[in-house]
Amino acid sequence: MPMLLVCALLIAALSGDAAGLPTVAQASRPARIVCLVPAVTEMLFAVGAGPQVVAVSSFDHHPPAVEHLARVGALLDPDLERILSLRPDLVITYGTQTELRAQLDRARIPQFVYTHGGFADVWRTIREIGARVGRAEAAARLAAAIEAAIERIRQRVAGRDTPATLLVIGREAGAVRGIIASGGVGFLHEMLEIAGARNVFADIARESVQATTELVLARRPAVILEIRGSPLDEARVRAEERAWRPLASVPAVRDGRVHIIGDERTVIPGPRIAEGAELLARAIHPGAFE
Amino acid sequence: MASPLRRRRALALLTYGSIAVLAVVISPLVGSTDVDLARALDRRIPFAENADAQILFVARLPRTLAGALVGATLAAAGVVFQGLLRNPLATPFTLGVSAGAALGAMLAITFGWSFGTAGVPAVTTASFAGAGAAVGIVYGLARARQRGLSTEVLLLAGVTMNAFFSALILFVQYFADFAETYRTLRWLMGDLDVGSYTPLVTAVPLVALAFVAFAWLARPLNLLNLGAAGAETHGLDVTRAQRIAFISASLATGAAVSVGGPIGFIGIIVPHLVRLMTGADHRIVLPAAALFGAAFLVACDLVARTAMAPIELPVGIITALVGGPFFLWLLVRKA
Amino acid sequence: MLRAADVSFSYGRPGRAPGVLHGASFEVEDGGFAGILGPNGSGKTTLLRLLSGTARPASGRVTLDGRDLATMGRAALARRMAVVPQETRLAFEYSVLEVVTMGRYPHLGAFEVEGPADLAICRDALAQTGTSHLEDRPFTTLSGGEKQRVVIAAALAQIGSSHGAILLLDEPTAALDLGYQLETARLLRDLQARLRLTVVISTHDLNFAASLCRSLLLLRDGRVLAAGPTDRVLAPDTIAALYDVEADVRHHDAAGHLVVVPVARIAGR
Repeated sequence: MPMLLVCALLIAALSGDAAGLPTVAQASRPARIVCLVPAVTEMLFAVGAGPQVVAVSSFDHHPPAVEHLARVGALLDPDLERILSLRPDLVITYGTQTELRAQLDRARIPQFVYTHGGFADVWRTIREIGARVGRAEAAARLAAAIEAAIERIRQRVAGRDTPATLLVIGREAGAVRGIIASGGVGFLHEMLEIAGARNVFADIARESVQATTELVLARRPAVILEIRGSPLDEARVRAEERAWRPLASVPAVRDGRVHIIGDERTVIPGPRIAEGAELLARAIHPGAFE
Repeated sequence: MASPLRRRRALALLTYGSIAVLAVVISPLVGSTDVDLARALDRRIPFAENADAQILFVARLPRTLAGALVGATLAAAGVVFQGLLRNPLATPFTLGVSAGAALGAMLAITFGWSFGTAGVPAVTTASFAGAGAAVGIVYGLARARQRGLSTEVLLLAGVTMNAFFSALILFVQYFADFAETYRTLRWLMGDLDVGSYTPLVTAVPLVALAFVAFAWLARPLNLLNLGAAGAETHGLDVTRAQRIAFISASLATGAAVSVGGPIGFIGIIVPHLVRLMTGADHRIVLPAAALFGAAFLVACDLVARTAMAPIELPVGIITALVGGPFFLWLLVRKA
Repeated sequence: MLRAADVSFSYGRPGRAPGVLHGASFEVEDGGFAGILGPNGSGKTTLLRLLSGTARPASGRVTLDGRDLATMGRAALARRMAVVPQETRLAFEYSVLEVVTMGRYPHLGAFEVEGPADLAICRDALAQTGTSHLEDRPFTTLSGGEKQRVVIAAALAQIGSSHGAILLLDEPTAALDLGYQLETARLLRDLQARLRLTVVISTHDLNFAASLCRSLLLLRDGRVLAAGPTDRVLAPDTIAALYDVEADVRHHDAAGHLVVVPVARIAGR
């Protein structure tokens, strides 16, 4: 009898958490998901896990269904109290939100930590979050579809000249000051390459570069793309395009190839990223999309 | 026998003037890009097609002139504030001007204001308005207490304004997203890349007026050292002098900050360095500090844009790296 | 003749704050040497500020040769009258000559620079106070006594040797030790005699006042207790009324002036 007991206990011990998994219990299909990352929210809805989401970040707009959901803050100001009050069984956080993550650990709430990366990380995240919420198959299909869409864009622009392009992600309104552009590393840089362009700052190994007027004049981009998270009205677009006039010797300004793309699909590394990349590609190679 | 003061002043102006001219002439010729000077100056090539000319005349020259203007203004304003407050540790930012300017700039950046007035960007206009508001409040507070203008109350009001505006800035930051916060931070570190002559042309009239006031203030500032009562018995209208000093130096600082952001340390290092070399007479210190301040900031900006080419460091970092140790040395020396 | 007629003053709104001076009257003729005596808080400094035109009386008038100070321009007044404050602290390192040169301010136009004549006057003032050797030294490195003499030189440079020039001194011996007190007394006596200055000192040092002043004004709680020639005013009963102190007043032959020796406090006042 004692021997049996010992064996039973031994078996129970060995089959338990021996693989170093977190001691927090994980549901196989979490039903109360709080998601702080807009890109991941879109992924969740795209793989059919929409009904499992109870709250999103302050900056979520897509898909329209999120308008009815509770808001819990965002990257810089997550509302821990609100999150806890919703009794989530999975919270999706940014990797840099160390304090929030520590607090959630103490509250024994399972987390999925999102880290921002390049395009390959988009596929990876889709597959991982899909598995995490019990929609692995849908996730695999989604990832494959987006990859195929990207590939189609690459083929459309293949063989064409890749113009030197400046990708501006922010600047002072109405002036060419405080220009922040994409460097030669990261998600936006990859998107530019997919769209068939050559980043003028490809040699700078940073995600973002503060581009001074001298730098822009020296690099002589043939195309300037400004991406904004939301659309601008016509008058504003004209005004902002005019702001580049002082830099008249820049080929993009001289040839009128300054494009302001006000569409959040270009800045959210989620399921709609292929649409964003296509917007860029159309601006750079209009002839390829006739 | 020529007046010794005239001789010393002439010598100082010559020395510092030469340094300033040297800086302003050399700076546009140096940068992170190689510029073909002959091509840049070639009139036969249309300006709109001449990249070298554009780098020289659109990117570098306005930037150098902005550096000279902002450096001269902050240095001279620093001298005036130190004389007004009778305190060698006073800076142009002690009385809340830069906090007001920072709030204005931050509001413009966060809420994406784009009202340009006569080609001047919104951030510039908003930061000047913020500076003006701060000056107005501090002045009103200092006047309310008594008929004259108490420097103690000025100082208290200024420090309080700094704290209050800083709190407002944090509050506005709450509404800002990541990119806007980043851009505000970069503005706070100083940015002389004006990209056109318009902000300079708009700032020059106000700065010129301020400098006329500074010229008049040189002797009153000497007298103010004796204390308000002491200066009064020498025949100086102390209240009027203090008023002129405060308003001219504050508005000049506001203009400088709205052009290039709140670049620190110039307003305190340059006056001290100059006093070490020329003595304390404001009739020499003021013009010398203005000239040296211009040269100093232009030099710092040159380092900022070439040290880590093609990436640029914010110029405020360079002035801090130079200014911090110097400041420590000053304190140790005084102790 | 510098005269204050029935002046009153208070810091803060009249009627709301306690008055500092109530109907005080004072006068000193050209070439006179007057002293204003009183304990701390008696209004001495305030009276001096009214006399120098730094403050305006709430009631009454201060006149110089019959003209109300309020009607005189600041520069014009500064050319006639200089004040030596209790202490002079400079925030920056001015040389002694620069400090004295500041005295020429009311003589120059807004952008005018001191000329050779002005410099000669300044150097002469330094010579008068025996401080010529300190000309290039930073003012902040001087001893208390030396600073005192330099500030007096600056005052001399300010009022020059114009007729009817007036020198006001606020507590001139406050920060000085005995040797320098005697020095200052000798200096003031010399200057007054040589330059025909009118001198007014405000002090709580009875013996110092007795050694120099030919007339005295005793102030207590903002009111005049007694005024007149020193010999008459400096007496045991007035000193008792002023300081609540029983004192012995006698003429000291070696010193050549009245000397006051406090004996005991008067209780119950």
